[in-house]
Amino acid sequence: MLQLSTRKPTRFSEADLHIFQKLRSLNWGLVLTLCLISASGVALLYSAGGMAWEPWAGRHLIRLCCGMMLMIVLAMIDVQHWFRLAYPAYFACLLLLVAVEVIGQIGMGAQRWIDLGVFTLQPSELMKIALVLALARYFHQIPLDRLRAPLALIPPLLMTAAPVVLVLLQPNLGTAALLAFGSGAVMFAAGVPVWIFWTAAGGVLVAAPVGWQFLHDYQKDRVLTFLDPGSDPLGAGYNILQSTIAIGSGGVSGKGFGMGSQSQLMFLPEKHTDFIFVVLAEEMGLMGAIGLLLLFGIVLIYGYLIGIGSKSQFGRVTALGLTTTFFLYLLMNIAMVSGLIPVVGIPLPLVSYGGTAIFTFLIGCGLLLSISVHRESRVSPHEPLL
Amino acid sequence: MTSLVARSTPCNPRHADPRPPRRNDVVHLDGDTKRALEIGRTRLLLAAALFAVAFSVVGMRLIGVTLLQEGGEPSLADVPQQTMRTERADIIDRNGVLLATNLETASLYANPRQVLDAEEAARRIVEVLPEVDHADLVARLSSDRSFIWIKRNLTPRQQYEVNRLGIPGLHFQKEERRVYPQGALTAHVVGFSDIDNRGLAGIELSFNDVLRGGQEPLQLSLDLRIQHILHEELSQAITDFDGIGGAGIVLDTRTGEVLAMVSLPDFDPNAPGSATADARFNRATLGLYEMGSTFKIFNTAMALESGTARLDSTYDASKPIRIGGFTIHDFHGEDRRLTVPEVFIYSSNIGSAKMAEEVGPQAQKAFMKRLGMLRAAGIELPEVGEPMYPAPWRPINMMTISYGHGIAVSPLHVVSAVSAMVNGGVMRPATLIERAPHEVSVGDRVISADTSAIMRRLLRLVVEEGTGSFAKAPGYLVGGKTGTAEKLSGGNYNKNARVASFVGAFPMNDPRYVVLAMIDEPKPNATSYGYATGGWVAAPAVGRLVQRMATLVGMPPVDEKQEADPQGDLLIAVNATDQTHAAE
Repeated sequence: MLQLSTRKPTRFSEADLHIFQKLRSLNWGLVLTLCLISASGVALLYSAGGMAWEPWAGRHLIRLCCGMMLMIVLAMIDVQHWFRLAYPAYFACLLLLVAVEVIGQIGMGAQRWIDLGVFTLQPSELMKIALVLALARYFHQIPLDRLRAPLALIPPLLMTAAPVVLVLLQPNLGTAALLAFGSGAVMFAAGVPVWIFWTAAGGVLVAAPVGWQFLHDYQKDRVLTFLDPGSDPLGAGYNILQSTIAIGSGGVSGKGFGMGSQSQLMFLPEKHTDFIFVVLAEEMGLMGAIGLLLLFGIVLIYGYLIGIGSKSQFGRVTALGLTTTFFLYLLMNIAMVSGLIPVVGIPLPLVSYGGTAIFTFLIGCGLLLSISVHRESRVSPHEPLL
Repeated sequence: MTSLVARSTPCNPRHADPRPPRRNDVVHLDGDTKRALEIGRTRLLLAAALFAVAFSVVGMRLIGVTLLQEGGEPSLADVPQQTMRTERADIIDRNGVLLATNLETASLYANPRQVLDAEEAARRIVEVLPEVDHADLVARLSSDRSFIWIKRNLTPRQQYEVNRLGIPGLHFQKEERRVYPQGALTAHVVGFSDIDNRGLAGIELSFNDVLRGGQEPLQLSLDLRIQHILHEELSQAITDFDGIGGAGIVLDTRTGEVLAMVSLPDFDPNAPGSATADARFNRATLGLYEMGSTFKIFNTAMALESGTARLDSTYDASKPIRIGGFTIHDFHGEDRRLTVPEVFIYSSNIGSAKMAEEVGPQAQKAFMKRLGMLRAAGIELPEVGEPMYPAPWRPINMMTISYGHGIAVSPLHVVSAVSAMVNGGVMRPATLIERAPHEVSVGDRVISADTSAIMRRLLRLVVEEGTGSFAKAPGYLVGGKTGTAEKLSGGNYNKNARVASFVGAFPMNDPRYVVLAMIDEPKPNATSYGYATGGWVAAPAVGRLVQRMATLVGMPPVDEKQEADPQGDLLIAVNATDQTHAAE
């Protein structure tokens, strides 16, 4: 596994690296894996659209290409700049979240995006990255010893709580959970004492029954349905029953590309977005499903190795935070469609149809690649706050 | 990974170096960084291990769902056991899905002689049954009859509330109400019955005695799943092109069984009284239309079968035909001699008329008669239309009939005849009743197997190269013919009121199903570049239908390239330079 690591001795200081040298030291293995995952996404959307580029596959392909280019550009930017941008980006996202909340108040119902005309922006998606960056910057600047003082944990906890509460208000339980877990991962990697995590876990267990009262009815339905999907097979349990039926009917080798009767015949709602994995499992069977999981596994291993290989605390913590966030995306999506956890609206990165999620994921990958290219960089902690 | 684990020291901050922080000490900062590095790496590995476990759990779950049959497609619902004796037998589709059944209800009647205070009783009854007219009820309750209906078919809740009133002289009669769980989806086929359970339309009327006499459910040939797809695609086409209605049929070419039959607009058979006459009208069997170019299928088959034309015969289509003050044009003139396949694929009216001329009016009429075009379609529905055809059958009629004008038939006529054209040449009556293999009619031979084989290739070519290309469903070898005919209004053809249709069959190497889609008065729009022809309006609906139903009936897709025209002589005969959709 260590062969996958990117630790090669470099003679140059990365700040002086020429753009072509940077391109050469790019982690092309990771890029290739991402391309393979993207290709399978396009293929699945082609199949889900009834063997046609319209309405999904074509647009998905264009978005992926734009996203990939953006990712490469981001990878060329020195980690120091990311360090500098961390807080401004965080506050900008926070403002957007507040804006969404205000607009949502006016528009009524769950408002999660801002319509920019050309595309819609989902600030909670961008927040996933901004939060990791901001926390990483905080932990980079604080001496390790001070982490043992509980007071030092108040700023990061506040930084986490603000977006989590705003996202909960939208209401978007899945994303709020992702944000909380992601920031937990960053704190863990940064060296926050372990007993704090145990306390937090205990706190969640105690608070859960109280929190239940605050859930919306549809959210309660999802949890209850998860506990017994058969109780309402045509109503709330429909999604999850249909998706397990489709996955199960695929068997080991699947029904063949474009031949998934359960998903092609529109038994399955949202097959092109959150439930795209089901199309894969039905048409390509267990082999296809495990294959895609392995590809994602490779991305995650790259992510952790990049983290391990980074010389700076900022790079290491960011890499772990981002990788963990990606991992949770993947885990929650697949666990959801296979009926392991309740239905939460979380897309499968690069494979599900949808704009912001693709860009968030590829921006995150761009950051990972940047940390990998500039692994030898020392990040100076002495930056102005904003 | 193992080497990394071995290298990292077990590191817990609480047990770390207890030296007090010395902020200005450069060496210490280095130590701090190094310690942070070590903690970070240890924890990274720990996190990775945790996630690996979570990953495996998800993987195991997937294996569980796929291999241990936790999922799996559910088997079809069983037909519910009939324990209760009903007034009218159920109607089910070929897979046992209920199309019509009975619901036990209670009907409220009164014996006015037993009612003490008519005014008081009526007031309280209207409180729980507001739809009953108060004044009328008072009048009837005051009469000296011994039986009046107050309301038929109460819901259990209404029955409970009436009981609670405790008014003497009110009684309930146990009744059965006919219900149609599929609603409008099968309305025109199943039909409906009245409040006394007498069939009034559709199968309910034609099988009224059978249904009243027996307890065994009546099994139709319909497949509700295909019916649903047909309904959906036809509705879509009508919406897309703003049509006033449409009809669609899916027929099994080997048995004559109708698998789906839709007429739009439709109505809810549970409340037939509120439907308009237009909604109740079955366009698929009762509606008569001049079908246009789809008739060239029969014309070509007739000419080939009678031996007056061969595949390489040519007809001069450069000049319009003038006959009896009437001119026959081609909509998409080629201005030259056309071979038989070209006449078919370019849909040349002139060429078709000349082909018919060689056969002659009497033979043409006889052929049409054998195809069932001169009598009402044979199917188990009371709503069938008698075709309209010219009498006497003059040469001018012969020429227009060659391309589908001057004769009006129902869509079902066309589907049955096309089935005979592609299934090897055997005409079977269409049926709505499920047939066991030994019950399938032997049928009458109308064309030879060789002619049928040629027709299959010609029809396939129209979809591969001609006006029917939007009916393509990759892997299923769709073949067919488009048709667009102007509707007659006040004795003249109306250029803006058309009937656009596509009739096709698949898979063309060994046809199993004939499909027809017809849209009544589609309007051209921007997506069809101003066309409202069969190729633009009806063919795409058939293509989508085939794509969706093929998976459902378990038909494996084939490699279309390998199944392409084996001899290639048809393709050579057609000048492949022009493949526009203008020819209709």
